[in-house]
Amino acid sequence: MEKPIMSSGPHIHSGASDRRIMLDVILALLPAAVAGVVIFGVKALWLILTCVIAAVLSEFLFNLICKKKQTVGDLSAVVTGLLLALNLSANVPLWQGALGSVFAIVLVKCLFGGIGRNFANPAITARVFLLMAFTSTVAGGTLPDGTTGATPLDLIGTEGAQLPTLLQMFLGQRGGAIGETCILALLIGFAYLLIRKVISWQVPVIFMGTVFVLSLIFGGFNTAVYELLAGGLVLGAVFMATDYTTTPITLRARMWFALGCGLITFVIRWFCALPEGVSYSILCMNILAPWLEKWTRRKPLGGV
Amino acid sequence: MSLKKSISSLKLPHYKSTAGMAPVRIPIPKEVLLPVSPMNSHSATNAEPVVQVGDHVTVGQLIAREKDRGSAHIHASVSGTVKAIENYTAAGKKALAIRIESDGKMEKCPDLKIPQPTNLDEFLQCVRDSGAVGLGGAAYPVWAKLSAAQKSHIQTVLINGAECEPFITCDHRVMLEYGDLIQKGIELLKQFLGSEEFIIGIEKNKPDAIEQLTERFKDDPAVKVLPLSSVYPQGAKQVLLYNATGKVVEKGQRMASLGVIIINVYSLVKMAEYFVTGMPMVERIVTVEGSAVKEPKNLIVPIGVTVRDLVEACGGLKEEPAKIIFGGAMMGKTQDSLDNVLLKATNAVVLMNRKDTEKTAPSPCIHCGRCVAVCPLGLNPAAFSRAMELEDEDKKAAILQKEQVRVCMECGCCSYVCPAHRPLAETNNKAIGFIRNWEKAHKEGGK
Repeated sequence: MEKPIMSSGPHIHSGASDRRIMLDVILALLPAAVAGVVIFGVKALWLILTCVIAAVLSEFLFNLICKKKQTVGDLSAVVTGLLLALNLSANVPLWQGALGSVFAIVLVKCLFGGIGRNFANPAITARVFLLMAFTSTVAGGTLPDGTTGATPLDLIGTEGAQLPTLLQMFLGQRGGAIGETCILALLIGFAYLLIRKVISWQVPVIFMGTVFVLSLIFGGFNTAVYELLAGGLVLGAVFMATDYTTTPITLRARMWFALGCGLITFVIRWFCALPEGVSYSILCMNILAPWLEKWTRRKPLGGV
Repeated sequence: MSLKKSISSLKLPHYKSTAGMAPVRIPIPKEVLLPVSPMNSHSATNAEPVVQVGDHVTVGQLIAREKDRGSAHIHASVSGTVKAIENYTAAGKKALAIRIESDGKMEKCPDLKIPQPTNLDEFLQCVRDSGAVGLGGAAYPVWAKLSAAQKSHIQTVLINGAECEPFITCDHRVMLEYGDLIQKGIELLKQFLGSEEFIIGIEKNKPDAIEQLTERFKDDPAVKVLPLSSVYPQGAKQVLLYNATGKVVEKGQRMASLGVIIINVYSLVKMAEYFVTGMPMVERIVTVEGSAVKEPKNLIVPIGVTVRDLVEACGGLKEEPAKIIFGGAMMGKTQDSLDNVLLKATNAVVLMNRKDTEKTAPSPCIHCGRCVAVCPLGLNPAAFSRAMELEDEDKKAAILQKEQVRVCMECGCCSYVCPAHRPLAETNNKAIGFIRNWEKAHKEGGK
């Protein structure tokens, strides 16, 4: 008889895996991606594919060149590429999208030690990088007719501008990034992530709720609804403020994280020159994440 | 909704296919081996053999005498001849052990008599004579636990019938079949400890046991059967205490100082049995389960039989076991041979086939927070794991102390949920070992 295996417990496992989680996130993003292609046309599809392929390829090559264990199988690079593309407007040239993916994977993720080690959200950091580098193409929202133009968030601040109807806002018939406009698709993805227990509801709800309530106080109900549906708030709150690696590890701290994101987003949108603040708010809170964990630490049962 | 903070826990698959199987007695074994020294789940210090090679012994006869609170009397579990007093090694642990060749008669020791204690001290002495140990896993002598009553009044006795570990159904069967002994045990504790409240905590996945015991105690206001949700680790000391009474044992505190003790339901039954029959602890019910066993069963077996004996009584093996576990699937301890012997506190033997033991290689932590969310005690296993990767020992110790790894009870929930398949519970165990040594070294160093 072969020697029995000696190991410490537990001797069973839930079967959860990194790859399954990443696959769930990809599946949850698909409705938004499909909606983006339907609304903005086939060029959105090319940009999505470019970003995903560039992300996977750069992780593959980085591991190869640095003689590290190959990690593309965990699908996290696909998530990064997909998220980046959905945060870009469809008129962004393909090469800029690809550059963004390389930046996200190599500079923000791999150089910090790969999956689980980066402190900032790769997709968001890359988007902000592209925004700085190629302001003219990245900042403007693509309109459903294919031209680049003002997004509802630009318009809210403008006197007498014609805003899309609320139904148009909900279905995504408005200017913006590929994956951020169709709220319906994002909510389907949100529901899927909740059912699969990949994320908890508190973070997106607190994030969006904070922006909504503050807008309500400062601008009234109608404005608050537009603020909620416009820009990248739902996409950011559901998919990026819930990123595991760059947010605190405890739910308690994550709720404070979400509150901070909501506050900063509102302040940027309302008081600053920039029309949108979701990306910056998440990036700021990424830096605060370890501190939030510390500040909200509680006494363990039977401990001090 | 209750405002009470609820304890995190896990919903696990139960694998309790033997729950409906009444325990059956195995054929009289040819021989038994009774370790007298600390083994995995045996008592913590050595008992002293009081027999010699060649002696004739009978069932229930004292063969090794306890020395202190850490050890318990060992009694012959078969009648026959002491063949050897030898060194026994199992799962990397060494012990002195008494080998008895059975004469096949199972002749009872003639000196045994039914104890008649009249006060607490005499009662404790009788429990001491019974050799009963905590059967929930720790194998701490029952008398030592009950002796807390000499110092503080034990208002409440929590009887642990949670049995939250997958695979094990032994306590479930005990509750179904030994209701009278549970009642006897409670009467004894009422009489000698003066306890006023008895709570029998049972997970809801044992509705028949809940029903039977509720019926049995319906006229006794002191006894309450408390159905508990079927989650792991419901039966852990702190968890059960909190869920049943809302109390918490704080650092440096003993549970008895809260006026509560927790006793495993089978320990209570084994203790009570001694006061009814005069027979000390020489046999027990054990669940034999797992994918490598042909017919999983609950068995009544003399202490000291080998795993091989148990397997034979279960129709043999379906295939070679890749893993042999004493205890449940979460906290059970692996065994290195079918020749290892059953100890007093071995509540289950799980034999897994190769497929069930397949493991995924660990990958880096993705910070998902599942280990933190699931920890019943509110610890941060990811932080322990990260700290253990540090080179600087002082830094490592500082984090481990701050995050209080020593509170960890190694229930294994964190490892179970980790999507990166990191061996978190094992790391916690190493971290506890590290911090103990570090603290010792720094005390000696005059710090």
